[in-house]
This record gives sequence, C-alpha cells and structure tokens, in this order.
Amino acid sequence: MCGLMDELLESAPCGFLTLSKEGIIQSINRTLLKMLQYNKEQLVGKHIDAILSKSARVFFQLYFTPLIMKKQVVEEMYLSLADKNGEDIPILLNAALDNNKEDPIIVCIMVPMRRRDAYENQLRIAKKVAEDAKSELELVLQSLEDKQEQLLVVNKQTQNELQLAKKIQETSLTKAITTDSIQMETYYKASSELSGDIYGFYQMNKDQYGIILLDVMGHGISSSLITMSLHSLFQRLISRGISASLLMKELDNHLHELFQNSEDVWHYCTAIYLVIDTNKKTIEYVNAGHPPAIFQDLNGEQQALKTTTPPLGTFEGIQFTPNKIYCKNGGRLLLYTDGVSEPLEPISLFSILKECSADSLSETKATIIRSLQGEDKQVQHDDQCFILIDLK
Amino acid sequence: MSQNILTRNNVKVAGNGKQSILFAPGFGCDQTVWKSVSESFESNYQVILFDYVGMGNSDTSAFDSDKYSTLSGYAQDVIDVCSALDLKNAIFVGHSVSSMIGVLASLRKPEYFSNLIMVCPSPCYLNDPPEYFGGFEKEELTGLMDMMEKNYIGWANVFASTVTNNPNRPEVALELEDRFCSTDPIIARTFAEANFFADNRQELPNVTVPSLIMQCANDVIAPTAVGEYVSKHLPHNKFVQMKATGHCPHLSHPEETAIVIQDYLKTALVKQIPKDSGVRPNG
Repeated sequence: MCGLMDELLESAPCGFLTLSKEGIIQSINRTLLKMLQYNKEQLVGKHIDAILSKSARVFFQLYFTPLIMKKQVVEEMYLSLADKNGEDIPILLNAALDNNKEDPIIVCIMVPMRRRDAYENQLRIAKKVAEDAKSELELVLQSLEDKQEQLLVVNKQTQNELQLAKKIQETSLTKAITTDSIQMETYYKASSELSGDIYGFYQMNKDQYGIILLDVMGHGISSSLITMSLHSLFQRLISRGISASLLMKELDNHLHELFQNSEDVWHYCTAIYLVIDTNKKTIEYVNAGHPPAIFQDLNGEQQALKTTTPPLGTFEGIQFTPNKIYCKNGGRLLLYTDGVSEPLEPISLFSILKECSADSLSETKATIIRSLQGEDKQVQHDDQCFILIDLK
Repeated sequence: MSQNILTRNNVKVAGNGKQSILFAPGFGCDQTVWKSVSESFESNYQVILFDYVGMGNSDTSAFDSDKYSTLSGYAQDVIDVCSALDLKNAIFVGHSVSSMIGVLASLRKPEYFSNLIMVCPSPCYLNDPPEYFGGFEKEELTGLMDMMEKNYIGWANVFASTVTNNPNRPEVALELEDRFCSTDPIIARTFAEANFFADNRQELPNVTVPSLIMQCANDVIAPTAVGEYVSKHLPHNKFVQMKATGHCPHLSHPEETAIVIQDYLKTALVKQIPKDSGVRPNG
C-alpha cells in the first residue's frame, strides 16, 4: 500500500518536495524533476535555492521561512522556480511543517501556473492603467472643480456688473408723460439683464409730443450698447424739435457710421417714431421695419401704422418720408416690439386691444402682460417692450 | 503621548532584569518572529518587543506613506519606543533591515543604546561596482517587489482594516487582524522600497555604540562579504560567523542565536552594568 502511494506520488500531477528546516531538499518527485529538467541526484541534498529564481530566493527567506516556522503552514504562495536552463516557472506553493518526526520536515506541493500567471500579469497591467487613469481623472476633475469655482466667482462679478448696467439702462428710459390731452403706460423687460429695446417720450412744445421705440437686432450686452448710443442721439435731436424724417435719417447715418469699418459686428435696428400734435389732432409717423403700431379710435376702428422704410442701418440713402393719420376724437395707440407680438401669436395685439376698448389704460396694460406671461411660461427669448397711449 | 506610542507600536514588555533588551523584527514580519529567542532573556533582562507602524498589531491608521518611505521613519519608531519607556543604554537587537534602523536610531540618540546587535545586516542591497557588492541588481529587487505584489499574504486584513476603519466598531478590525507577515501593496511595499533601495554605507563609520554582527552561512539576502564589509566599517565591532544558514537564524536556529547574543553580552556589557548586578568583567 505504502509503495503504491509512493509510486502515485512520484507521478502525481503536481510537484512534490520535502525540505529540512534549513531548506535542504530531502526528496523530490518525478513530476517536479521533469518540470525542472534535473535528475534526483542533482537536487537531493541541495538547498531549495538551487531551484528558485533570484527574486524567489529572497522572497523565500522573507516570507516562507517565518510563515512555516511560526504558522506551520504556507498557503497559495506564488514563487518562480528556475529550471536547469534558468527558465522561470511560475508556481503556486502549499507547504506544511511536519513536527511529528524527530527531524521536522517541510512538505511542499507545487502547481505550475503559467497561463494563470500570464493572465494575472495582464490583469495587473490593466489595473495599473485603470488606476493611473483614475488618478488622472481625479486630477482633471479637481482642476475642473477649481475652474468652476473661479468661474462662479467671475460670474458673480459679471452678474453684479450686469445688474448695475441694467439699472443704468433703465434710468435712461424717460418717464411716461401725463397731461390733459395725453396719458401713457409703458412696459419694459429685458430677456437677459440688458435689453436691445429702448424708447423715449418728449414734449417738444405745448401741443407736440415725440415718441420713439427702437429695437436693435439681437439682445444682451452688444445690442444694449447700441441702444445707449442711439438713445443719446435721439434724446438730443427730439428735444430740439427736429422733424421725423431728419431724426430717422440721423439715426440711420449713425448706425452706418458705427459699422462702416467693422462689418463683422454689424447691427441694424427697427424703429418707429411718432409726432403727436394734440392741437391739429394728427399723428405723423415713420416706421423703419418695425412691427406696425396700432391706432384705435373711440369707435373701435383700428389702423395699422405699418412699416414705411427698411430698418435703420441697412441700405444707404433711404428717404424717411413721414405718413400722417388723423385722430380727431382721440383714441388709443399701441407701440410694441416683436418680443411682445411674436410670443402671443396666433392671438394678435389688434384683437386684445379691441377686447380692452372699454378698459382703462392700466387695465389694458395688465391684460397684455397677463397674456404674455400665459404664453411665455418658459424662457423669455427676446426683449419685450410696449407703450400704450391714450389721446383725449 | 507615551501610552499612544506603546499602543501604536504594539509594545510588549516582559522579564525581570534591570538591563533592557529591545528586539526589532526584520522586514515583512512582526515581533512574534523573536519569541523563541527573546523568551530565553526574560529571567535576566527586561525584554521589549514592538512592531513598526503598519506591521503586526501596530496601529495601521498611524501609517504615513511619506514618513515611512525612508528608513529614518522606522528609526523614529525605535526612538519613540525608547523614549516612551524612558530607556537608557538599552541593548538593541535588530534582524536584517532593523540592523540599519538601529544604526540610524543610535546616530540620533546614542544615549539610548549600549550595544547594537545586528543579525544578518546589509547597509546596501544593490551592487555598486567595483568596490561594493550588495548582492543584487536593480531588476532582481524589482522582481522581488513583483513577487510581493503577486502574493496576497496579509492583504485581506489590510482591506479589512481599511473597510472597518469605523470608530464605532473598533472590535471588527481587532478580530480580523493577523498581520504576522504581509505583502500588502501599500504598507509592505513602502517598507520594501525603503529597505531594499536604501544605502547606509556612509553612516557606518559614525556609529559610536559598540556592536556585534551575527552572520549566517549561505544568506542570499545578506551574504558574508556584506557582513564583513559592515564589520570593517563599524568602530567597536565584533563579527561572529554562525553555524545557522539562511537569513532567519532567530527562527531556524533560535538556541544558537540566543547563545551568541548572550556570549557577546557577557564580554561587552561590562561598562553598562552596575557593579552590584553580579556580572563581573570578563578578563
């Protein structure tokens, strides 16, 4: 029986080895000898170092010896053997210290694990790559967070600046005029902090009022800068009592001059200018590409003050000839920018104005704002501005 | 502070003597490697065992990968332990890397040590031809690191202690801890790099504490030529060639190891032992 076991052990499908406490090879089976390409006489009596790679010899001293002496077992130890030709053979080693005998012996079995080792090496490389990528990602993430932090600070500063600019722009808007013969309501709301819309009302003499509404293409900072430059110009000119055609000509020239050498930032502007004469009961107007203003007389008859010329800043040499309508018995005017009319479509401002015929000016204003808020629940895409005027 | 150090470094004190003897474990394992040797000193000495931070039952949370990336961090552990126990003129026994850690500690605090006993020392593992042969090429040591990485001794416990680093349930970590030896990729790897790539040859001539080198036969890690180099460059050094083979005589040949230490101390400790201790100067 014992002989049979020994014979089976000789050819068992694993390396079998016994060592003295000092690491001297006592016995070694045929499987392991074949693996190492040695014969028995070459190894028995030698230190196990003879079949270990250089690194494994160190590892053996550092870990195998303490573990086997103190714990009596070693499990799943990875080592690399060196065969007769110095080729590495990765193996997994289990060992136990047999203390029952007079001379304690260390019993070892070894299983070669070339494929598993190759696979494990791949895994380790992949793990290293993943870890490197992870730490790189963490760095990137950190720098992204830092940048975001900086952006938030800058954004806060910009927001403060924009709030200040918004106040300045709103300060430049003229106050509504209320006299015995005229009454006004206005609404002005920028899509972002700054608006591309602007208006102005000026009493030029006892009977005449100049009213202008401009919408510079686009919105935001760039458009608002142009409105401010146009504002200072029309304020000066209208106060001086300049004619409607000359005013529009000046504003048109101003835009052409602004962009004559910088086409890449070219902006145009739609505008409507009204001169209301409360004595003669006339409204003279020039509409340069602007949505039609609406005049509604006391009987509810409506007239559209339609566009008469292309927008300002488009074609050179436009003649801004004014049109004239009569308003003998008074009536109501509505001027607006497309930021008001477009979100309301298909409902037209004409019909809203008609429905509000019996309402006061402020009630009419509230109705229009309600309609806008109803239609425009999401983001406000364009600047919104409208002016309501009652002529008595 | 001192209680913290005693816990941090898992310091164990045993024995009845007045003279203190400190046993420092080598790379890879904890203080239990010294058990068979240190017990034989308990009747005549105050025997002190400890673990470096990260090893054995030390407080792994105190591990600082910067501090312990050089041997001076481990030398600070030795100094901290001596200071916490108020040791003066202690005998320091260091295996393998602890020999050099003892050298570094003694250079900083010579008054803490009466003797340095170096078991299998090497001041530098790398070859530095033509004058010095530590025994290893860089690739061989890198191969060793790889082999550590492909063994998982003590790993589960590293993760366990990380996972269970929960102040509300400290008992979990304690139950799982068995870090007798470890090849874990953080602590053991850091120690391995600090150890195997160290070069302490320059420090040897500056050592003032008398020392003993215990050299094994057929030691692949610290060959005899390296032990002789250390002996040649250390002032007040005695060199003993042991019968033991390999790199761990305290494990494979504890009796011989204890006897060599005791024989040395009989002759070497004359100036530190008070006259009433019963030990007489030898010759």
